[in-house]
Amino acid sequence: MLLAGGQGSRLGPLTRNIAKPAVSFSGKYRIIDFSLSNCSNSNINTVGILTQYKPFLLNSYIVQGSAWDLDAPGGGVHILPPYLGENEGSWYKGTADAVYQNMEFIDFYDPDYVLIISGDHIYKMNYNEMLKFHKEQEADITVSTLTVPWEDASRFGLVTCDENARIISFSEKPAEPEMNLASMGVYIFNWKVLKLALIEDSEDLISDNDFGKNILPRQVQQGKRVLAYNFQGYWKDVGTIDSYYQANMECLNGGSSLNIFDPRHKIYSNEDILPPQYVGSAAKIENSIVCNGCNVLGEVSNSILAQGVFVGEGVCIRDSILLPHAKVYNQTHIFKSIIGERAEIREHCLIGANLRSDSEQEGITVIEDHHLIPMDSVIDAGRNVYRLR
Amino acid sequence: MYDTIAILFANSGFDSLQGLSLEGSIAGMPFGGRYRLLDFALSSMVNSGIRTIGLVTPRHYRSILDHLGGGRDWFLDRKAGGLLILPGAIHGLTQQRINFRIRDIELNLDYLHRNYAENVVISRCNQVFNFNYKDALEFHNKNGADITLIYKIPEKPTDKHGKIRLFLNEDQQVNKIKEEESEHLKVPYFINHLIIRRKVLLDIIHGYKPLETVDLIQPIAENVQTLKVYGFAFNGYIQTIHSVKDYFERNMDLLDPEIRMKLFWGPDSIHTKVADNPPTKHGYQARVRNSLISSGCLIEGEVENSVLSRCVLIEPGAQITNSVLMHSCIIRAGTVLDHVVLDKFVEVKSGNVLKGSRDNPLVMKKTAV
Repeated sequence: MLLAGGQGSRLGPLTRNIAKPAVSFSGKYRIIDFSLSNCSNSNINTVGILTQYKPFLLNSYIVQGSAWDLDAPGGGVHILPPYLGENEGSWYKGTADAVYQNMEFIDFYDPDYVLIISGDHIYKMNYNEMLKFHKEQEADITVSTLTVPWEDASRFGLVTCDENARIISFSEKPAEPEMNLASMGVYIFNWKVLKLALIEDSEDLISDNDFGKNILPRQVQQGKRVLAYNFQGYWKDVGTIDSYYQANMECLNGGSSLNIFDPRHKIYSNEDILPPQYVGSAAKIENSIVCNGCNVLGEVSNSILAQGVFVGEGVCIRDSILLPHAKVYNQTHIFKSIIGERAEIREHCLIGANLRSDSEQEGITVIEDHHLIPMDSVIDAGRNVYRLR
Repeated sequence: MYDTIAILFANSGFDSLQGLSLEGSIAGMPFGGRYRLLDFALSSMVNSGIRTIGLVTPRHYRSILDHLGGGRDWFLDRKAGGLLILPGAIHGLTQQRINFRIRDIELNLDYLHRNYAENVVISRCNQVFNFNYKDALEFHNKNGADITLIYKIPEKPTDKHGKIRLFLNEDQQVNKIKEEESEHLKVPYFINHLIIRRKVLLDIIHGYKPLETVDLIQPIAENVQTLKVYGFAFNGYIQTIHSVKDYFERNMDLLDPEIRMKLFWGPDSIHTKVADNPPTKHGYQARVRNSLISSGCLIEGEVENSVLSRCVLIEPGAQITNSVLMHSCIIRAGTVLDHVVLDKFVEVKSGNVLKGSRDNPLVMKKTAV
């Protein structure tokens, strides 16, 4: 069950019109590609995708999942939006509620185990290894965990384990963390255990119906065998503009263990067929990722250009991320910014104006998708620029 | 256009490509960074609304079938119609320079019999173009034509489209079809695309069975007075590839923004197989100028006036100018390439200097260096 219904409001202009899992990432991907490719590479071919917020682009991107080889006989990808029944049905109130409302779907396939993952994490993982651990340990629930730096620990849901990797307690984003083992939002449940837990949770009127906050702590309290599976590798929650920017840049600079160039664990995507990128005679591209369909006539450094991006003559782009089909016209300068899909920046603009020579400048400037920034505009660093409605 | 089906001849293969297409055929040649030559013909048919396409295979068709799969990337994985494989005739030592061999259609006659379509569009896979047949089909139907031949009046002496000249009256009806060398005359030349009524095609095949290795154009030329044959002008970009020099120059054409615009950025796009490569990364020392670069490349060296296919690796200090590199080539540090065409998977080791010329590009075959 892939949770893809969250609004992702902390991504500001990037998720104003589309769901967070559908936001473009590292040029040619969308965030959900990572979870879907992990499923595909782990031979999981029955996937329910729980959608709710602005689902059109997400749905049309996923279709039957054939881009990830997930259109399998006797399974496949199912998009599960909220629905009404005779007496039941409502908007999804939380992650657990979303799965609760689709118990019929899971019962239809009657699995032994249910994997719960999220559509907004960047990582490569073979879920089979986790399932193997889950079976070997005869666990009721397995939570995938990751050791995080102490200074970041308060941003995560943290777990405490005993010496046998059995989870003793949970604490959701504590101000003063006592441990640094974080939950990645990847869970394997025995379906019988999950079903009971969901029913119980739905009857609790003060519950937020959230896996991390409600379901897991209660199951630990009840003495279920909840184990921590220690994941080794790169994992990033791209829930904020800062972490989204940082994850993109890590992908570019290869400083992380997330290697998108590794052919053994491919990340698939549902791409449009565009011609190869064209790099002009006066162009200069340095340490950047550039996708198909781009037309680059100016200077680009330490940046990511998604597919179909146009960079005009005399343009200077530094430390920035341009999302699909963004257009930057002649003589415009862009520093440490994220330019939304199909946004147009006209001639002689300055985006991210601040301490121009210093790459350590504060604040990431974000331009909403489809926005048109007129000629000669100056936009200060760190601003979120929305379209007028 | 469900009243129209197509036959696409993918079996032209010439040894004049210096071994580059020996294994496959011209149809399967990588082109323009991410395409195969047959993508242009196939996409043009699909973009015209044709959803039943029979593809005549060449002698070695592994790479073509690998590329096509079930036809999903061209929207041809269909219950009704779709992509059908028509095994081509195999005979002789080298394949002749023949466009539409009647024998190939005759072998697959069921394809034409088991269909109710009114018209059949026929073309080949050795051309670079983007043509929507809709207008031509409308013209064909409006005139009640038996056959409509697509022609082009050469703009430049270099535009070689073949030798078959059409003589048209003011109503665009064809009076005479004659083979003659183009003397740079601004007159209509057949560009090897035609629309023919399915019934007429069946009649021709039936009538010419004893001469079955002839080209379809021959019976048309012989019967031009009795059949209703029209000509329809194509004014866009179209080039035919016969030789390494053509292959090289047509790749270089893509560096011209106007030609790229006509081929790739019009209302109809060119479809191809999706390879799911990561994007291309330009490193700190990369210096790329006036070049077309496909996805999955890692570039640390200098590249100028070149076309790079997918997953090419270029190490620091390598210098590549005026060259066409097919996919998964590895160019080691300190290499110099100029006017070179590299086959797939070629690795050029450090210190090699490979130079050809515009008229005679140096071709390096698989694992040659």
